[in-house]
Amino acid sequence: MQDRFISGYHDFVLPFMIGMIFILSYLAIGIIRVIIQLPAKDRKKFFLSLINPRLWIINLRDIICDVLLHTKIWKRKPLLGYMHSSIAFGWFMLIVLGHIETWMFVPDRLSTFYYPVFFRFFVMETDHTIGGSFFFFLMDFFLLIVLSGVFLAMFKRIRSMVFGMRRTTRNQLPDRLAMYCLWAIFPVRLLAESFTAGIAGGSFLTRPMYWLFSNFLSDTYHILPTWWAYSTLLGTFFVLLPFTRYMHIPTEAFLIVLRNAGIKVSHPRNGYTTAQIYSCSNCGMCIDACPMMSQKKNLRYATVYFNRLLRRRNWAKCEISADKCLMCGKCVAVCPVNVDSCNIKQSLRAMRAVPAASDYSYFNTYSAPEPSPEKVLYYAGCMTQLTPVIYKSVGTVLDKAGIEYTFMDRDGGICCGRPLILAGRNEQAQEMIRKNTELIRQSGATTLLLSCPICYKVFRENYDLKGIRIVHYTEYFDELMRLGRINIKNSGEKIVYHDPCELGRGCKVYKEPRRVLGAAGELVEAEKHHDESICCGGSLGSLTLSYEDRKDITLHSLDNLMYASPERIVTACPLCLKTFSPYSPKKVSDFAEVVAQNMN
Amino acid sequence: MEPKNQQKNIVVIGGGPAGIEASRTLDSLGYTVFLIEKEDRLGGHLARWDRLFPYGTPAGDVLGQMTASMGRVKWFTGTEVTQLNRLERGYNIILSNGMSVLADALLLTTGFSLFDASRKEEYGYGIYDRVITNADLEDWFSGIPVPAIDSPRRIGFVHCVGSRDEKVGNRYCSKVCCATAVKQACEIKEKFPDAVVYCFYMDLRMFGRGYEDMYLEAQKKYGIIFVRGRVSEVSEDKDGHLFVKAEDTLAGKPLRVTLDLLVLMAGMTRNTAVAPIVRALELSTMEDGFLKPKDSMTQAQSSYAAGIFYAGACTGPKTIPDTVAEAKAAAMSINEYLRDND
Amino acid sequence: MIDFGYGISPSSAINLERFDRARFDRLCAEEPDVLKCMACGSCAASCPTAGHGNMNLRKVILLLGRGCDSDALAMTRSCMLCGKCLLVCPRGINTRHLILSINKIYK
Repeated sequence: MQDRFISGYHDFVLPFMIGMIFILSYLAIGIIRVIIQLPAKDRKKFFLSLINPRLWIINLRDIICDVLLHTKIWKRKPLLGYMHSSIAFGWFMLIVLGHIETWMFVPDRLSTFYYPVFFRFFVMETDHTIGGSFFFFLMDFFLLIVLSGVFLAMFKRIRSMVFGMRRTTRNQLPDRLAMYCLWAIFPVRLLAESFTAGIAGGSFLTRPMYWLFSNFLSDTYHILPTWWAYSTLLGTFFVLLPFTRYMHIPTEAFLIVLRNAGIKVSHPRNGYTTAQIYSCSNCGMCIDACPMMSQKKNLRYATVYFNRLLRRRNWAKCEISADKCLMCGKCVAVCPVNVDSCNIKQSLRAMRAVPAASDYSYFNTYSAPEPSPEKVLYYAGCMTQLTPVIYKSVGTVLDKAGIEYTFMDRDGGICCGRPLILAGRNEQAQEMIRKNTELIRQSGATTLLLSCPICYKVFRENYDLKGIRIVHYTEYFDELMRLGRINIKNSGEKIVYHDPCELGRGCKVYKEPRRVLGAAGELVEAEKHHDESICCGGSLGSLTLSYEDRKDITLHSLDNLMYASPERIVTACPLCLKTFSPYSPKKVSDFAEVVAQNMN
Repeated sequence: MEPKNQQKNIVVIGGGPAGIEASRTLDSLGYTVFLIEKEDRLGGHLARWDRLFPYGTPAGDVLGQMTASMGRVKWFTGTEVTQLNRLERGYNIILSNGMSVLADALLLTTGFSLFDASRKEEYGYGIYDRVITNADLEDWFSGIPVPAIDSPRRIGFVHCVGSRDEKVGNRYCSKVCCATAVKQACEIKEKFPDAVVYCFYMDLRMFGRGYEDMYLEAQKKYGIIFVRGRVSEVSEDKDGHLFVKAEDTLAGKPLRVTLDLLVLMAGMTRNTAVAPIVRALELSTMEDGFLKPKDSMTQAQSSYAAGIFYAGACTGPKTIPDTVAEAKAAAMSINEYLRDND
Repeated sequence: MIDFGYGISPSSAINLERFDRARFDRLCAEEPDVLKCMACGSCAASCPTAGHGNMNLRKVILLLGRGCDSDALAMTRSCMLCGKCLLVCPRGINTRHLILSINKIYK
């Protein structure tokens, strides 16, 4: 194996080189901008992460799993996973193997970008070695893998349903152009390498192609134009890249590094968010996932389109989309690149919120609750006042378990603050957080028991209550059951548990309620459950969704819950309970109600 | 009376006041009438009621008068329609007692269902012992024991439970609850003269003859206290007393009151038992689920399908006089239809 | 001037002739639900500020529709946006968005 040209250069590499230099500069500038835009403390975190060897290992693992192998898509939809990993991993291996070949056979050419990419053009085969054939085999093998992925991708455009996707993203012009480039790159590469297989050698794919073509084509006339085409396609693809969905290929690795450094969304467009939205592959998984999509008119509010609007800084439309969102978090749960769109939307709301005069001086009319002997304080929250069955059942269970508790807001109380945070009014929410903290501290409680997941999330995330255990009643009753303080008998009733968004995806509480309900009856699962559970439609997260629109979501969610024909639907959120009850074909009960009914 | 009418079969589904009255009228016109009632007795909701507004007429007397002369009407209680087929002329109806009738015309007098008050969780029906419905109170008036009623000193009536409420899918007014609430408030005050009785209303709809007089009497004679504000939530203290929250919208201030008994005025909703018939005959319904007549002005008793007629609360909330009048009108509509199609 | 013990205070009377509807119309465009209120008072009754603060959404809607903007806006300052009114409203008014829209338009 040796150089075919003394110069080791040919003009056809120019389009590729232009594209390559463009995209590398674009990425470099982009990365620097993102780092500059990060808040100082996040920037520090980022730089510290770069000198942390443990994080290097984690980063490497995540990049291999997520960027190259796409394990997350594999788990969800294997065929789609294969499509992604065959192209990503296959292409990556072609690049790596190209470099290894160059390094092995013509090491002094390694310094150029193009040589390893167009290796088969620049070399000629002088003798057959086992090592050489092995590499040729590998190159053909991975090219075949990539080609299989590309054909699947073409097929997916026509029949997305085969891949388990009801809806796929609408592509824009740059996306389409880049997509056609991507489809063409590898078949053209196969042709180019086949034409040169007589000179540079080849393996099971390129050699038979060479023989086939040489029978009726004079390959010498076709070699150069095909390599030009290959280089031009690559160059075009790279130049188009920043304006297309395929930007996620280089961005995602950077996002992984930032995320593993512990950086969180702090601005709706700049810094970390830029890395997030450019990592959005526009795959459209969030379209099928979104509960609002039960109505066709809401398609445009899907997270993927929100990300697009954000890339273009179309603030007015972004705001409409963000205000509509239920903040149920399902798009985040299914997102293959984990775009944290709920937090992006929330910070957008915070940025766009109109400053409103507020006057909470009346808070000083509330007095601290009396402490109970066991120092358990129960905060029911605003919504639970409208679902008396919840606080009454909680009381029954605690009484039977012999736990003396204080009901902090029996006669009403101060809101937990989460509804204001969801509306982007963080400063006003702080006043509620401050006053509630003061009242809870004064009560001397050591355990704060909550039944509303909305409250639970904010108490866990935004309150500073060190020394006080914050616990949701699903966790608390599970603990009481396991400690033997409550005994639950099995009624044999077929029940399905609905994961409330704020409790499941919001606080990752899944197993405790199921353990308790499994003891109370025959627990079945909905069609979609755990982190794929469908929002009831009542979420306070949406600011603009009308009552009529919510109804469709509720019906869709109920359909999902009725999948295994349960006799009863059980939830652990006052809002879900109130939202489901009017439309449910079966009785909807609260978690505490079921526990109270089945206690010995 | 034309003798050939006797060869014409008419099936009336629903043995409430509308069904009874229409059957009697059709019978008097000479038709052969089959009256089908799924409950074990005729009378529908009327049979459960004690007295009727505005004059306190005993419901039993009204029902007694109606059923006193059923003529040749063939009526079947405890019987349901199991199958309905449209024929070239008329309908084939198979009943749960095994009978099969070839009907020339069909009259639906399927009425309404009482709104399930437990669907308004915030009022605590089924959760708190001392929350009852208007129907429970009528039971008590008729002498059936209701444990919740134990010498109450403070009593509240909540109007519009399940009516004028989009959250339960019922935007409409149930028409009869205001007058029923005022009637029941006066009656319970008579039973417990020392009790304070409140009526929580959004709008008082005293539209009928004699209703305004009843309202006036409730204020003047019985001292019922009317509060313009919808009760928004009810909680319970350790002794089972009810703590009620409303806004006194006329005073513009939040209102809080503790009660010993709360009566929810459950409204009228569509009768879900009629759904299989609606499906089998492809009948039109309105947004709220009530049956849709061909024309609400001039053909309120006709459906869109030939030979099918409506009377009473199956097309929307009605009072007893409305229902009885509609039953007569439906009988005349059927008579005209059968004559024209002869 | 003779003191009758009462007087006509121009600020306390509702003067519909002097009510410039432009802002209220903008509010109606932003959140048409504002027109659906039937003044049942459920929102004010269940409001957690009742008895503490002076928020009363029923009155806010009424006053804005009568041109008494400052009285209405003084009330919204106590709102915690908790959404209880959203749940109890028999007309299904999107109360939270209504309050946010009021803040936006009457700033």
